Amino acid sequence: MGGHPLYLKPRLGPRLGSLLESPGVLNTLTDALGSPLHVVIPDQIAANLEQFRSVYGRHHLSGQVFFAHKGSRSSALLRRLAATDAGVDVASLGELQHALGAGFTPDRILATGPKNPEFLWLAARTSVTVSVDSRDELEQLSALIRKCSLPRADVLLRLSGFDVPGVRVLSRRSRFGTPAAELVPLLEAAERHSDAVDLVGMAYHLDTTSLAEKATALEGCLRALEECRSRGLRPCAVDIGGGFGISYLADGEQWERYTTELTAAVLGARPPLTWGGHGYGLRNEGGTLRGSLGLYPAHRPVAGARYLDQLLSHPAASLGGRPLGALLVEHLYDLHTEPGRALLDQCGLTLAKVLEVREQEPGGELLVRLAAKADDVGLEEHGVLMDPVLIPRPDRRTADQPVAVHLFGSLCLETDLITRRTVFLPRRPEPGDLLAFVNTAAYCMDFHATRAQQQPVARKVAAWQEGGSWRWCLDDQYWPTTSVGGAQ
Amino acid sequence: MRYDSITEAIGNTPLVRIDPAVHGLTHIDLYAKLELLNPFGSVKDRAAWNMARPHLADAAELGSQVVELSSGNTAKALAVLAGMHGLTFKSVTNRMRVPEIKDLLLLLGAEIEELPGQSECLDPTATDDPLTLFHRTISGQGNAYLHTDQYFNPRNTEAHLTGTGPEIVKDLDGRAPEWFIACVGTAGSSTGVAHVLRENDPAVRVVGLVAAKSDFIPGIRTIDEAHEVGLFDPGTYDTIEAVSTDEAIEGMLTLNRRCGILAGPTGGAAYFGAVRHLRAVDGELTQRQSAVFIVCDRVESYLSYVRQRRPDLFGRPRRPNSPADLTDAEIRTAPSVGVADAQAWIATGRPLVVDLRSPFAYAALHIDGSVNIVDEVFEELLRGGLPFSRSRPVLLACPVGEKSARYAALLTRMGHPDVRSLAGGIIAWRDAGAPLVRD
Repeated sequence: MGGHPLYLKPRLGPRLGSLLESPGVLNTLTDALGSPLHVVIPDQIAANLEQFRSVYGRHHLSGQVFFAHKGSRSSALLRRLAATDAGVDVASLGELQHALGAGFTPDRILATGPKNPEFLWLAARTSVTVSVDSRDELEQLSALIRKCSLPRADVLLRLSGFDVPGVRVLSRRSRFGTPAAELVPLLEAAERHSDAVDLVGMAYHLDTTSLAEKATALEGCLRALEECRSRGLRPCAVDIGGGFGISYLADGEQWERYTTELTAAVLGARPPLTWGGHGYGLRNEGGTLRGSLGLYPAHRPVAGARYLDQLLSHPAASLGGRPLGALLVEHLYDLHTEPGRALLDQCGLTLAKVLEVREQEPGGELLVRLAAKADDVGLEEHGVLMDPVLIPRPDRRTADQPVAVHLFGSLCLETDLITRRTVFLPRRPEPGDLLAFVNTAAYCMDFHATRAQQQPVARKVAAWQEGGSWRWCLDDQYWPTTSVGGAQ
Repeated sequence: MRYDSITEAIGNTPLVRIDPAVHGLTHIDLYAKLELLNPFGSVKDRAAWNMARPHLADAAELGSQVVELSSGNTAKALAVLAGMHGLTFKSVTNRMRVPEIKDLLLLLGAEIEELPGQSECLDPTATDDPLTLFHRTISGQGNAYLHTDQYFNPRNTEAHLTGTGPEIVKDLDGRAPEWFIACVGTAGSSTGVAHVLRENDPAVRVVGLVAAKSDFIPGIRTIDEAHEVGLFDPGTYDTIEAVSTDEAIEGMLTLNRRCGILAGPTGGAAYFGAVRHLRAVDGELTQRQSAVFIVCDRVESYLSYVRQRRPDLFGRPRRPNSPADLTDAEIRTAPSVGVADAQAWIATGRPLVVDLRSPFAYAALHIDGSVNIVDEVFEELLRGGLPFSRSRPVLLACPVGEKSARYAALLTRMGHPDVRSLAGGIIAWRDAGAPLVRD
């Protein structure tokens, strides 16, 4: 098998763990609804929200937690969240309709992202707060409100490209937001259109895992808000976007061992760990490692609500070194956040049935074909490396003997690999077994799924615990009444 | 000793024997090569000078900027050298995690750019990592940069081939030591010195030290990061071993407290790694051997790094009148006043209104007539006793009424008869519609 198995065990919370220990339910579900199949756990998203709320509490902050809808199309998750006090951040006309239909009132909805006229109209018509991407969009929204006699809209202005004195923190260029250096003309436009729009705050969202970059942007927003106040405007909120992340793996040492071995494999110091010697962005140039590891940091010591806590505790270097959270409270600003991935942590899994197990060469890695396409399990697309959990048919439990496998999808296509990584499983899978890819609710269920080759898109069910056992219904049949003893 | 330029003071550092009573080795003489005594404070002075020297005259003519990927000592040395030659210096880094070094570089006139972090919504097809982009910028047309390229520049290693290595041999009476132990950063010093020593005696054993993978020790790479270094050749080292932060600090403390060597954590890691490796072989030796390790730089720049990891080393005596001494009951029962009553009290009792928030927040909006004393300053003030007359009533205000309650309790304990905390703080004040002003 080529040395010790390099496992990347997923981190399992109590709900996902319990569901995986109910193979009867999982087999019934896939037998009835086919493979692949997504299972979402609505109660988990409410629990994750509480984590964020408690960080707000610790920093004495008020403001809204807006779930970034784009991470999942599940109705069950959205409706469960509608039954809490959370908000939702919608980035398309369809998402706005979905949120309104799930029970979110307009005061709990924030319209973000690139917007078409229909999206802007429905947002303004229903008095949803609009996070305005550019001066052009502000003009467009104001004109629309006047032309259609719509109510005055609350707006946040999204900024980008912040600079603070001292150390220059570089950031990837963003296609969204107005450069902070063009704040004054933007505010002038907001003042000019004050009959149509009411400036309620500033926003940013940076696509980065770096705390320092986010702290720089937050400091930049505080300065922008001060500029607003000095002009007589009365903004009251800062929206710091999302990007709080998930720690996918249970064991940091496994992740470190794996990445070290991957480096060694790229340098030719050990047999490849991937299909075709793929390096995940690393390459070997004359014995020196070049490139960068194009993988999500699957084990993160700090992620989710704790990341927010750390950001709020981070000292604002250009504002006297006070922690950012304390500055927000002192300035009487509400804090808005837009967690997507972090709120979806542990909220679901994807099941795929093993169709074929082939030994291409004796003693070599097994080729395992699944009843699923690579785009049904988006983990690889998002650079998340994590082992699936093998769920054998109850009648066919083979002995524990680690094997190395390559996981292939069901498309007639060389590149339909569930992952390019050689996956180590604790025992040999057999046709009919299930592989459970856990923690896929964020971006990895329906974001990339296609109907290529007329193959079906996975169905989705919602599951919850009731009286010590797991109950379920189709995702779009779920309402918050369902799981409290309603009809199934 | 008289020099015409400070650069002449680079190199020729002492080799100092560590007292056997400290390291406990019976058959091995352990020597420290004190690179911390270079004029800009570290072993990197040699490489920086050797890499920059041939290009400085041209760069001065073109008005180039010196640029390097460095998070510490190389940047420090290059900043000084650039300044001496009328050039500017920019350090690009994603590893600058020691605040004192950042501040020192800014003080020396350096420009610092931090590379962006990894994308949260990963695009696996994006092959332009920040370093690739950095190199593209450096080599872009019309850009006049003097890029010293410490991780790939052979003149980095050369500085130690011609300097550090021969100095060690000379100081050991023309003999190479049996052992050489060095931390792997750019690999320049370890590669250069190892080469010289092996030329002298092919049997020299070289121990390379790297940081444990989840750890961060300034100036030392993890094994994966070492592979990204052009000068790094695993063949240089007979063994490569990992050192943890705790071990590095322990070694540093031994050098600091018992050897009179004010080494930083990298030197501490080298000492710890040396003793750990040598102890295993010491018992089986019958003849005397010698070993050399490198002390890269000084401790002073790493105080916050050490404080974060070993707060116990900074234990100070408790100070009087600290809000931390208060009991929960004292805080709970601290005198407080609601917004409406506070407004009435301000009108009739004329209390001194103290706003404990930061000046930035105070300047934005505050209660009319209040004075701003930031909580940190207030805490300092109280250490010296009551800063107000007992006859003057005091209303304390903070964002949510939590800090003000603490200080109201503390002032009460210190004997002030009429201090009250604004319940719910400035936020409650605002929510009640009470006036806030800007001056």
